[in-house]
Amino acid sequence: MSKYLAMAGISIKNSLVYRANVTGRIIFYFVFIFVFFSLWSMVYSGNEIAGYSLRQMIWYVCMTELVVFCSGSGIFGIMNHEVKSGEIAYQLVRPWNYVYKQFASMLGNITFSALVFTLMAIILGMVFAGPLKGFNAAAIPFIVVSFLLSIAMNFFFLMSLGLLAFYFEENGPFYFIYQKLLFVFGMLLPIEFLPLWAQGILRYLPFSLITWGPAKMVVDFSYGYAMEIIPLQIIWCIGAIALAQFVFSRGVRKVNVHGG
Amino acid sequence: MFTEVKKHIKLIFKYFTFNLSAIAEYRTSFFVQVFGMALNNASFAFFWWVLFDKLGGGIGGYGFRDVMFLWAVASTGFGLAHVFFANMNNISGMIMTGELDTYLLQPKNPLINSIAARMSATSWGDFLYGIILMLLIKASGMMWIMFAISIFTAAILITSIAVAGHSLTFYFGNMEAVGRTLWEFTITFSIYPETIFRGPVKALIMTALPIGFITHIPLRMVYNFSWGTLFLLLGVAITYALFAFALYMFGLKRYESGNLIITRM
Repeated sequence: MSKYLAMAGISIKNSLVYRANVTGRIIFYFVFIFVFFSLWSMVYSGNEIAGYSLRQMIWYVCMTELVVFCSGSGIFGIMNHEVKSGEIAYQLVRPWNYVYKQFASMLGNITFSALVFTLMAIILGMVFAGPLKGFNAAAIPFIVVSFLLSIAMNFFFLMSLGLLAFYFEENGPFYFIYQKLLFVFGMLLPIEFLPLWAQGILRYLPFSLITWGPAKMVVDFSYGYAMEIIPLQIIWCIGAIALAQFVFSRGVRKVNVHGG
Repeated sequence: MFTEVKKHIKLIFKYFTFNLSAIAEYRTSFFVQVFGMALNNASFAFFWWVLFDKLGGGIGGYGFRDVMFLWAVASTGFGLAHVFFANMNNISGMIMTGELDTYLLQPKNPLINSIAARMSATSWGDFLYGIILMLLIKASGMMWIMFAISIFTAAILITSIAVAGHSLTFYFGNMEAVGRTLWEFTITFSIYPETIFRGPVKALIMTALPIGFITHIPLRMVYNFSWGTLFLLLGVAITYALFAFALYMFGLKRYESGNLIITRM
């Protein structure tokens, strides 16, 4: 365990060094929220749409973007590169579980992003929308758990997609498709905007549980939602870890090491 | 002057054919990237379709076809810019690492020579997506005319804004983040209805950062064409291109060569 913690520590230090990178992402986060604030302000005229008020909608976008900005740590690209370049061969002889090692290496980056972007999300939510009506502080532990599960789930799914490079020369389309499923099934719009039959399916799928799940808990918390969403997130999170392990353990058998 | 321009246009097309043949060597990868990018853009069309369907009306005077027109111009214009000048986003990197030396030694303008040296394969997806979108929305004749004109002005403006942003590296040190952010601003602001932006933001995108001229002004002309606005559009695109060119060329005088040895393959 201590070796994984040491890797996470190094990852935090790296995140602090590349300040320009962080600044660029903060600006982009701000611009994204600003554009959606402008859009929703134009769309709403004192009414509710699909059960969301303007204030809830702005907080919703702040939250879904938070998940994406925290877990988008480039793991797909790293996996892709390590497999295709053959660098992965050097990792196989080291005394750790490769999948967990990658997670530990990214943990610092994720923690740093989570701190920075949570602060940004709260500031922007307060500035653009104001405090959420009826927000209950007792909901915070559930929201935090849900966010952590979302970030972990997204990380391991992205890792699995990156590791598909063992099997496919071009694994980019899998990434594109996954990213767009996140996009349209929860990130830009709550699933309540979609037809009822689609909602019935989407509330059990990981794409919506990653973005819509925790964001919904922030803007419209109820213990009923929490009890419905968190167990599903736990199941999918375990599934995502198992998938990453499976793709890795099967794929690694295809590696031929020729020295060098 | 005219001969110089002609020579550089010839150079741009030489790079184009060379880069295209290089990309064609990896056909599967190329088609996968083109498909991926088109899919990426299509997800936004889905977002707008759901939104308009839910609202049952317009957004700030824009209908679904209008927003798709913005997307078509932005996408094809962006594709065009990155098919010809994909190296625009590496300007800061080239200045910082000394990679620019290679281009300075050649008898062509270093800006044109360096930004035309690369082609982005995914940009073909953007380029085609805009055209497909125009077909899907059954664009009117006026939409097609404005599309044909504005994809060129859009490509010029997108390239010029990126060049201007990255040229600041000559003056203030590494401005890669600024250049990239400006480039992202350009894309983000050009794909949403003009009417959602107000006050200083609207003033900014219609003046110092003429992002509004990429898609919003062409759409205005679809419904309310005037020769004056068309000349204004062309004038803004050319003026901004000259401004970015001048900013780069003046900055180049401050450039300090490195000792990096590079092989261009």
